[in-house]
Amino acid sequence: MENIIKWETELKPALTRALSEKKAVLIDFFNPG
Amino acid sequence: MDAVTYPEKKVIDFISDYLIPLRVAFDAQPMAKDFRINWTPTLVILDPEGKEHYRSVGFLPADELIPSLLLGLAKVHFELDQFPETLLNLDRLIGDFPKSIAAPEAIFLRGVTGYKSTHEAKPLKRAYEKLQAQYPSSEWAQKASPYRLL
Repeated sequence: MENIIKWETELKPALTRALSEKKAVLIDFFNPG
Repeated sequence: MDAVTYPEKKVIDFISDYLIPLRVAFDAQPMAKDFRINWTPTLVILDPEGKEHYRSVGFLPADELIPSLLLGLAKVHFELDQFPETLLNLDRLIGDFPKSIAAPEAIFLRGVTGYKSTHEAKPLKRAYEKLQAQYPSSEWAQKASPYRLL
């Protein structure tokens, strides 16, 4: 079990994983400031 | 969300199990423009082809985030005509999070999915009856009101 969310940082790798793992992508647009 | 919602184990587990999480600064281009981001947090759910099916703007605690994401997943499957998967997510949302903000919309969508998958009117009427009984002041009860005539 994970103890933090492991965020992708680029869309293309996230979509590649989504296709291979058959999952949807969740994008969190956030304010880093 | 960083301080309150994302550290919760149930949120970590849910996102890890069912989604590919991607974090993007609100002003990162071209994604901010492509996705028309105007406020934060904005959560967007895409299918594996990159098409958007759901978004949510504003803070959510864990017990609202998970049902919101379940609704988003249901909408991905619904819009791809994957009705068994749609119903799975909606039933989980309705069963586990009946008091959530997302529950009335989930009940409405369940009725629509039931109709689209069977071409029978009963699921629509059931949705209307459940919304009237449990969420009478919700917008979804209003939207379901024509189904009382079925």
